Amino acid sequence: MDVTRFIPLAIALLAAPLLFGIINRTKAFFAGRRGSPLLQLYFDIAKLMRKGVTYSNTTTWVFRAGPVLVLSATIVAVAFVPMGGIPAISPFPGDILLFAYLLAMTRFMTIIAALDTGSSFEGMGASREAFFSALAEPALLLGVSTLVYVSGQTSLSGIFASVNPAVWGNYGPALALVAIALGAVLLVECSRIPIDDPNTHLELTMIHEVMILDNSGPDLGIIEYASSLKLWAFGSLIVGLAVPVRSGILIVDCATFLVGMLVLAVLVGTIESTMGRLRLTNVPRLISGAIASAVLAWALILR
Amino acid sequence: MQNNLISELIPVLLIVTNLLLLGSSRMRACITLVAAQGIVLGLIPVLLEGQQFSVTAWFLAIVSITLKGIIFPMLLVRTLRETGTRKEVEPFVGFTLSLLIGVGFVIFSMWIASRMSLPAQTPIAALMTRAGLATLLIGLFVIVSRRKALNQVLGYIVMENGIFAFGAALVADMPTLVELGVLLDAFVAVFIMSIAAHQISREFDHIDVDQLNTLKG
Amino acid sequence: MGTGWELWVLLTASVAASVASLLLRTPRQILRLVSVGGAAWSLLAILISLQVFICGPVSTAFSWLRVDSLSAYQLVVLALVYGASSIFANGYFLHEESHGKFGLHAARRFAALWFGSAAAMSLVLLSNNLGLMWVGIEATTLLTGFLITIHSTPLSLEAMWKYLLVCSVGVAFAFVGTLLVGASAQKIGLESNEMLMWTSLSTAAPLLNPGLMKLAFIFLIVGYGTKAGLAPMHSWLPDAHSQAPAPVSALFSGAMLNTALYCIMRYLPLVEGATGYQGWGMQLLLIFGLISIMVAAGFIIFQHDGKRLLAYHSVEHMGIIALGLGLGPIGAFAALWHTLNHALCKSLSFFAIGRLGQAYGSHSLDRIAGAARRVPLWGMAFLFSIIILIGVAPFAIFMSEFAILRAAISQASYVALGIFLLGTGVVFISALKHALDSGYGKEVAEPSPVRTSGLDYAVVGVGLAMLLALGVWMPGPMRDILEGAARIIGGAR
Repeated sequence: MDVTRFIPLAIALLAAPLLFGIINRTKAFFAGRRGSPLLQLYFDIAKLMRKGVTYSNTTTWVFRAGPVLVLSATIVAVAFVPMGGIPAISPFPGDILLFAYLLAMTRFMTIIAALDTGSSFEGMGASREAFFSALAEPALLLGVSTLVYVSGQTSLSGIFASVNPAVWGNYGPALALVAIALGAVLLVECSRIPIDDPNTHLELTMIHEVMILDNSGPDLGIIEYASSLKLWAFGSLIVGLAVPVRSGILIVDCATFLVGMLVLAVLVGTIESTMGRLRLTNVPRLISGAIASAVLAWALILR
Repeated sequence: MQNNLISELIPVLLIVTNLLLLGSSRMRACITLVAAQGIVLGLIPVLLEGQQFSVTAWFLAIVSITLKGIIFPMLLVRTLRETGTRKEVEPFVGFTLSLLIGVGFVIFSMWIASRMSLPAQTPIAALMTRAGLATLLIGLFVIVSRRKALNQVLGYIVMENGIFAFGAALVADMPTLVELGVLLDAFVAVFIMSIAAHQISREFDHIDVDQLNTLKG
Repeated sequence: MGTGWELWVLLTASVAASVASLLLRTPRQILRLVSVGGAAWSLLAILISLQVFICGPVSTAFSWLRVDSLSAYQLVVLALVYGASSIFANGYFLHEESHGKFGLHAARRFAALWFGSAAAMSLVLLSNNLGLMWVGIEATTLLTGFLITIHSTPLSLEAMWKYLLVCSVGVAFAFVGTLLVGASAQKIGLESNEMLMWTSLSTAAPLLNPGLMKLAFIFLIVGYGTKAGLAPMHSWLPDAHSQAPAPVSALFSGAMLNTALYCIMRYLPLVEGATGYQGWGMQLLLIFGLISIMVAAGFIIFQHDGKRLLAYHSVEHMGIIALGLGLGPIGAFAALWHTLNHALCKSLSFFAIGRLGQAYGSHSLDRIAGAARRVPLWGMAFLFSIIILIGVAPFAIFMSEFAILRAAISQASYVALGIFLLGTGVVFISALKHALDSGYGKEVAEPSPVRTSGLDYAVVGVGLAMLLALGVWMPGPMRDILEGAARIIGGAR
C-alpha cells in the first residue's frame, strides 16, 4: 500500500479545523478586529471533549447516535476525496456517487437527530436545511457530471487526476462555470453566508446552527469537527478543479493544493464579509443560478 | 474568429449576462447588465478581424461600445429617475422560474442551431450563433414577462444584441453600412422608446405596462 | 435609362419638406404645406412610375436604389393614398384647429413626421438593397409611431407603446431573416457588396441553400408580417388605427401595410427559386393569409368602434392579398390589383369615419347612427365605402376578390377557397349590418356641423368613381403593368 495514498486523508483530518480559523480571521480583518487565533477550533473541540454531556428527556437513542454517525460518515466520505492529483486511499469507479450520498446521509442524520428533540426551532431548521440541500443537489451532481464527461472517469481520484492545464485550455469557460456552481453548493451545504449566518444567535434566523442547539459536550465537539471536515471535502472539490497543477512531484502538488485551500478559505471569508444574508425566499434564486451555471457548462461542453 | 479562449468567452459572457438579467430584481442591476452585454459584443468586430488592424473594425467597436455601454444606460437611468418609478423589477413570471426558462431557452437554441445548416466557419462562430439565438429568445421573454415599460425596452436591446451576435457569427463581413444601420436603429429605437415612456409616465403617472390594457377587442 | 436623379429628388424632397414644416409659423401654413407638398410629391412619384412603366427599370446609387415595375406599381399606390390623405388632412386638421385642438406644436410635429414617413416608405420601395429596405421599414415604424399620438391622450399613448414594441420586435425578426439571406448569399460566394442586392440574389436564387432560405423566409414572414398586419401578429393594428387621426390611419392602411407586404413580395421569388419552385413559400403565405381572414372575420362581428372595424377590415384584406400571393401567378396578379383597390377604398372609409368622428365627437358606430341622413356627404361615403369594401359587385374589390377566387380554383386549392368564402361571407354580413345601421339607423346623437369644401366632394367623388371604373374596366396598359409586376413576384427579373 502506497504511503502517499494516506496523505489526503491525514492532512484532511488534521487541517480541517484550520479552515474555520482562517475564515474567521478574514472576517475579523474586514471588520477591523484582530479576531480569534487560527487554531481556535482545535481549542474549542478539545474543551468540548473534556466537558460532560447533557441529554434532554425528550430525546431517544437517535439523538445520541446522531453525532457519531455523522462523524463516521463524514470521515469515510473525506477518505474518497483526492488532494488534487494525489489519489485517495482506495478509489473505485463510481465512488463519486458514494461520496455524494455519504454526505447526504450526514445531512439525514443531522435532520432526524434535530427532529428527535421535539423542539420547534430545530424542526424549523431541519425543514429549511432539507429544502435548500434538495435544491443544491442537482447543482452538485450536474457540476460533477460535467467533470465525469470531460475526464471520462467516474472515480473522484481519477477525475481530478486528469484535470490538467490542457483540459482547462480546451474547456476553460465550462470548467469555470462548474467551479462557480460548486462554489454555490459549498455555500449552501456548509451553511455560510449568504445562505445561513453561522454567527447568528437568533434561533429564528438559523438553519444549521439551530439543528445542533441541543447537543453538548463531546457530541457538540464531534459535530463541529464533522462540519469542518465537510467544508474541507467541498473545498477540495473546488480547489482540485481550479488549481490544475499536476506536476507529479508530491511536495509541489501538496503545497499548491494547500495554498489553494487557503485562498479558498480567504475567499469564503471575503464573501461572508461583503455579502449580506439573502432573504430565505430568495435563496432558491441563488441555487437556480448555480443549476443554470452547471447546465450552461454542460451545454458548452456538448456544444 | 481567432484567439480561442478569449473569443470563446464572448458567447459565454453573453449567455451569463442574460441569465443574470433574468434573475435580477433591481432595475439598476438590469441596466448595468445590459450595458455590460453591449460592451462585450462591441468587441466582436475587433476579434473578428484577428491579427490584422482594421480601421472600420475598430471604428465600429468604439461606436457600439459607446452607444451600448454609455449612452443607452444613461438614457435609461435618466428615464428611470425622471419617471420616478420604483427601482424594483416587477415581473409576471417569478425570478427563479425565469432563470430556469432562460436555461431552457439556451438548451433549445443549442439544439435547434445544430439542426439548421448554418454556415458557421469555426467552432467559435458556431457557439456564437447559438448564443445569439438564445439571447434573442431571452430578450423576447423579457419583453413578454416584465411589467415595466423600461424593462421591455431592455428586453428589446437584448434582442438586438442577440441579433448582432447571430449576424456577426454568420456573415463574416457584413457590409459596414448595414452594420451601422443596425446600431443606428437600436439607438433611435431606444431613444424613441424612452421618449414614449416619458410621455406615458407623464400621462399615466406610472410605466406599468400591465395597466395599459384599456384598448381591448 | 437616365441617371436616376429623380429617385434622389423624391427622397430629398420629402426630407426637405419635413424640415421646412418645422420652420413655418402657423398651423394653417403648415397644413397648406402638407396638402400642397403631399400632392406634389405624389405627382412626382406617379411620374417616376410612369417613366418606369414606359422605359423600364431605373436605378442609381450603384444599384442601391432601383425601381422596376413592381416597385413602380406600389409607388403609384403609395402616391395615390398619400396624395389623397395629404389633401384630406388639410380639411381634417383645419376643423380641429378652428376648435382649438390643433396647436402649432402639434402641427409641426404632424407635418415633420408626415413627410418623414413618406421618405421612409419610398425608401423601402426604392431600395434594391434588402438591408436598406429593412432600414426603411424600421424608420417607418419609428416615425409613424409618433404620428399616432398627435393628441397625447392616454389611449393614444397606450396604442403607440403597443405599436412601437410589437412592430420593433417584428422588425427585429425581419432583420434576422435578412441576415440569414445574406448568409446564404455569402455561402455561394457573392461579393460582400452584392450580398443583399435583390437583383443579384434574384439571378442567383436557384443556387441558394434551400434550408437556410426556408428558415429565413419564416423569420421574414413573421417579421414583415407583423408590420403588414397579418394575424396572429396583428395585435397592434386595431389600437393604432383607432387612436390615430384619420389621415394617419388612412396612411397606415393604404400605404404602410402595403409597403410591408411588398417586402415579403420581394423575398418570395428568392425563396421559390431556392426551393425549386415547389410553392413552399407560397404555401406559408397562404396559411398566414387564411388565418388573417378568419381572425379578422371573427373580430368584425363584435365591433362597435368604426375605426377598429376598418382596422380589422385591413387585417382581412391583407390576408386576402397574402392569400392571392400564395395562389400562383394568377393569384399574384389578383393580389396586386387588390392592393390598389383596397388602398383606395380603405382610405376613403377612413376619411369618412374621421370626419364623422369630428361631427359626432366619437367613432362609435352606435353614436353615428343615421349619419347618411344628417351628414350626407361623409355618411354616404362611409356607407358606400364599406359596401364596396365587403365586395359588392360591380365595384373593384368584388372584381379583385373574384379574381382570387379564380386563382384558387385554377390551383385546385379548394380548402383555401372554402375558408376564403366563409371568411368573406361572415365579414359581408356583419359589416353590412354595421354599415346600414350607421348609415340609416335610428339616430342617437346630434352631429355638430362640419365644413365640407368642394375639395372634399372632389376627393369622395373621384374615389368612388375610380373604384367603380376599376371594377368594370381594366385598361390594357394597366393589365400589362400588373402582369409585369406579377411576373417579378413569380421569379422574373
